[in-house]
Amino acid sequence: MNFFELFGLEADYSIDLTSLATTYQALQKTVHPDRFAHSSSQEQMLAVQKSAQINDAYDTLKNPIKRGEYLLQHLGAELPNEQASFQDIEFLMVQMELREMLAQIKFANDIDAALMSAQESLDIQARQLWLEFEQQLAAKSDAANQQAGETLRKLKFYHKLYIELERIEDALFDD
Amino acid sequence: MALLQIAEPGQSTVPHQHRLAAGIDLGTTNSLVASVQSGMPKTLPDANGEDILPSIVSYQSDKVLVGNAAKALAISDPQNTIVSAKRLIGRSLADIQQKYPNLPYTFSGDKAHPTIATVVGDINPVQVSSQILTNLVERATQALGGDLEGVVITVPAYFDDAQRQSTKDAAQLAGVNVLRLLNEPTAAAVAYGLDSGQEGVIAVYDLGGGTFDISVLRLNKGIFEVLSTGGDSALGGDDFDNAIVDYLVSQFNLQRPLSHQLERQLLEQACKAKELLSSQDSVDIDVEHQANTLTLSMTKAQLNALISPLVSKTLRACRRALKDAGVSIEEVQEVVMVGGSTRVPLVREQVGQYFKRLPLTSIDPDKVVAIGAAIQADVLAGNKPDSEMLLLDVTPLSLGLETMGGLVEKVIPRNSTIPVAKAQEFTTFKDGQTAMAVHVLQGERELVEDCRSLARFELRGIPAMTAGAAHIRVTFKVDADGLLSVSAMEKSTGVEAAIEVKPSFGLEDGDIIKMLQESVTHAKDDIQARMLKEQQVEASRVVEGVEAALVVDGERLLSPQERTAIENALQELTKISQSSEIARIEQAIKDVDTITASFAERRMDSSIKTALAGHSVDEV
Repeated sequence: MNFFELFGLEADYSIDLTSLATTYQALQKTVHPDRFAHSSSQEQMLAVQKSAQINDAYDTLKNPIKRGEYLLQHLGAELPNEQASFQDIEFLMVQMELREMLAQIKFANDIDAALMSAQESLDIQARQLWLEFEQQLAAKSDAANQQAGETLRKLKFYHKLYIELERIEDALFDD
Repeated sequence: MALLQIAEPGQSTVPHQHRLAAGIDLGTTNSLVASVQSGMPKTLPDANGEDILPSIVSYQSDKVLVGNAAKALAISDPQNTIVSAKRLIGRSLADIQQKYPNLPYTFSGDKAHPTIATVVGDINPVQVSSQILTNLVERATQALGGDLEGVVITVPAYFDDAQRQSTKDAAQLAGVNVLRLLNEPTAAAVAYGLDSGQEGVIAVYDLGGGTFDISVLRLNKGIFEVLSTGGDSALGGDDFDNAIVDYLVSQFNLQRPLSHQLERQLLEQACKAKELLSSQDSVDIDVEHQANTLTLSMTKAQLNALISPLVSKTLRACRRALKDAGVSIEEVQEVVMVGGSTRVPLVREQVGQYFKRLPLTSIDPDKVVAIGAAIQADVLAGNKPDSEMLLLDVTPLSLGLETMGGLVEKVIPRNSTIPVAKAQEFTTFKDGQTAMAVHVLQGERELVEDCRSLARFELRGIPAMTAGAAHIRVTFKVDADGLLSVSAMEKSTGVEAAIEVKPSFGLEDGDIIKMLQESVTHAKDDIQARMLKEQQVEASRVVEGVEAALVVDGERLLSPQERTAIENALQELTKISQSSEIARIEQAIKDVDTITASFAERRMDSSIKTALAGHSVDEV
């Protein structure tokens, strides 16, 4: 049973997250090991397995990037190798600029404004990539799926930038 | 429309029979036991009417004293009287000495397994905790009038794998069945959640004697979903006391090292001053030293200045936990206060200011954890088959592996909902490499040396290939108690190695059996008899469970042949479990397990389908 089936869903990128959460809770109420605390060891082990599988599925489906990757793999697309070198030089240049922008935040006169504007730059560019991703998926072809995988790989760069931004914010707060 | 209800698979069809269960708050400073009686959770007092058992054990040549009796000896006989053993459990000697340099004990044992030298010999922190558990279980057995089916023991959410495993070891040593290890903040949320029946996001701020925990939970229709948890497993009210002691030492111009008695005296005075300053503005402190009385007056403002950095540290952890949960301060509907240290006015003020609301303190902060644990124990023991309550807890710290260059690769990130299983692939570094050292670590930092080492094992027999050609799949599993097991497999050959992660700083395999045999309290206890009883209990659990399953689903999911085969195996098991042959009972249980494996799986899948159907009907 794949993750979509496990949650009674069509294999599709767009998901109602509220309904996903409700299904998740209904499933956990059925299989969680706490429901089997009084059962035989065998049933307890089975419950742990199923419950972990449902947690894994929920964790994957509720996260946009993980869900995208899972769907592409499900559709038979081969995801780009993380270790392979990145061909899009222009994209890498932009990434370097963004990194530099984040590194400069702590030297800004108005730190709050700098944090805000960094967040905005990331948001705008990430949103653009998500749009591309959805268009690529909508094309429903192997070639487009392959491109969608590349787009996700780019989005992961933005995910890392967001984490870096949070880290910078944390460090500024802690001082 | 409400969700359709589904019968619990293990539900008994025999008339309702109340199973005795209790919740135990095994605290750093104080411990309590509580149980649900006639639907109401209550803490259980001892013969003197005291609910609270000080977590102190004194080893004397002729007897072992626990609680208040031991507390009396803490000053006069500090070396044999172990206070706050919870701070030592699952820790290395280096950890302990770095964090608590002035403990009055003489440490023995090796670095990874420190013990305390007492008049009755070397004592492991696990044994100390086990004494406290034994005392509380006896209390509950008497109060409830029968043997306990099992207990829920609470642990700080921030306890790492070694500390959790050691707590479970202590229970095993005490001979109690652990239904579940439950995180303290989650227990507190349960105590409050069931009280108020509310929904939404709540934060639990738990400052105990030795640990600080912050958890952010979402309550929804009986489900307690922990969104994030954070804190510090070595920060608590004791640190407030220590800060005061350090202040006194400098004000009195005392030179360390001081005698154990004087340290203890200072600590007692510091603790008393802290408590008095909760309700008054200044306090006089007197300490007897070399026939002199040292005197000092301390104000609330001075106390606040001493502990303010510690309180700020807790608030930083709160901020991180909210962030991890993806929740803003405004979304938090309630803040629950847990732990005796939340009585300190500065703590309440600062927490109130931070969360912009008055913290909840209506349930006694010393009892709230035990009460929550009792509610969970009652549900787990099967006394409330219709209960909607379910606790979805998370891993407090990330779990990972050492990779080349002393870096840690995270396999299970912190705040993953448990139980969880994750696999990741790794490869060899050198040409012709035929073995791989798997080093399991816990923590958030990137370098191995900054994380906590949990276990090491080796995967051997990898076929010689060029570097990077082997595919080694390492699987991490964390069960519902938060305990980890790790296995590794080379994919092309299927060569496999696995371990239950026995923490580097816990007990070794076989230690428990050895301690049981040596233990004074269990001298009369025949280990064989105990093991037999455990097998018999498991056998009756299996028989009861399968019989109930047959009644509900036998017709629907089994062919007549399958059903007959299962019934025969059950009969055989019932017969053999009357005997006293442990190995035969064990084998008969395995036989039933094997023959019912596919039935159990079919039932699980069928209940998943029903749950999905109930859900989609609900949506239409």
